[in-house]
Amino acid sequence: MTDEEFYKEALGVLRDAESYLLSLIGQYRDSSPIISCKSRIKSAQSMVEKLERQGFEITLQSALEKVYDAVGIRIICGFVDDVYHVSEWLENCSGIEIIHRKDYIAYPKPNGYRSLHLCLRIREGTAAGTLAEIQIRTMAIDFWATLEHKLKYKHKIPHEDLIRRELKRCADEIAATDMSMQTIRDMLADENF
Amino acid sequence: MKLLLAEDEKSLSNALVTILEKNHYSVDAVYDGAAALEYLAANVYDGAILDVMMPKADGITVLKTLRREGNMIPVIILTARSDIADKVNGLDSGANDYLAKPFDSRELLARIRTMIRVQNPPDEKVMQTGNIQLNPETLELSSESSSFRLAGKEFQMMEILMTNPDSLIETDYFMEKVWGSDCGEEKQVVWVYISFLRKKLKALHANIRIADVDRKGYRLVTV
Repeated sequence: MTDEEFYKEALGVLRDAESYLLSLIGQYRDSSPIISCKSRIKSAQSMVEKLERQGFEITLQSALEKVYDAVGIRIICGFVDDVYHVSEWLENCSGIEIIHRKDYIAYPKPNGYRSLHLCLRIREGTAAGTLAEIQIRTMAIDFWATLEHKLKYKHKIPHEDLIRRELKRCADEIAATDMSMQTIRDMLADENF
Repeated sequence: MKLLLAEDEKSLSNALVTILEKNHYSVDAVYDGAAALEYLAANVYDGAILDVMMPKADGITVLKTLRREGNMIPVIILTARSDIADKVNGLDSGANDYLAKPFDSRELLARIRTMIRVQNPPDEKVMQTGNIQLNPETLELSSESSSFRLAGKEFQMMEILMTNPDSLIETDYFMEKVWGSDCGEEKQVVWVYISFLRKKLKALHANIRIADVDRKGYRLVTV
């Protein structure tokens, strides 16, 4: 099924939502800027799979109302503190309403995944009412996530336990480096240093 | 656990083999020094029991040969009760322990257990202070919510702090233990590593923290 067949006339609204959020994020100004920002509309195929997995009806309505990430934005930052600054800034934007915030940096998933997720509803413009998800993470963790993501789509993983354990160890090591980098940046910013 | 027994008195050897096997050791028995060296070269043992007085090569010669070749296998030598010179000579030649004949088999078993225990210290245990755990095997610092893998020196510092909770640990002590007394490193490095650890403890929602003590050092305290 193509995206047009599944999303029908809603596809235009989803695209509006995507560009609304991208232009909103474009307004973020900080001495430590966002490194990159990616977006996507969830493909019809992965949307159907997700609805099935979560036990929802396979309809356009569930895709738009039950699942938050038909529109998905990913923001990559340099440092851990930047992730929280961007998140705070977004939480204070009047054009969007944050429905919930999941802090997987403070409380990582068992596999070691670390990101900050904001589930939101757009309040204004042609996409008003549309749900979306924004993921914010550090560059280092994004690097880790690219490999972890590959496991999800691999049906047979040789020595799976070992691989998952080692990947978790890498996540803990990367997160530790992120923390040390943040500590050094704080030291450099400290006038008493 | 596999042991080599070199004892030329057949009846004593047979009795010891029976006792050792009953205690779940597997035992190779040989009756002279040359055979002992041959077996020790060809197999891997967890320990060896060598009688001093043996034909072909005596126990001390076997022991010296092993050590000269770099074989550090734990060794107990069996000596005659009166012979202090044998005991001293045996220990100086690299024996881990000695036992004077006649001996009680229970004592021999206890000495074997000690010898093997010293050789294989028990696995290092996971340390816990407050809601924080430190795993020496994986270098993992963790709480219920998250975990980090520490760099080597961070781990060593955290280990010192967690083994001495609530005690003042002076900066000089960290320098000496972690960096070595003449490493030429500035003392600031201790503060840098303390800062790394503090940040991580905070991110783990720790209920312990590293407090400054009058510019002298640090103390791990419960919040």
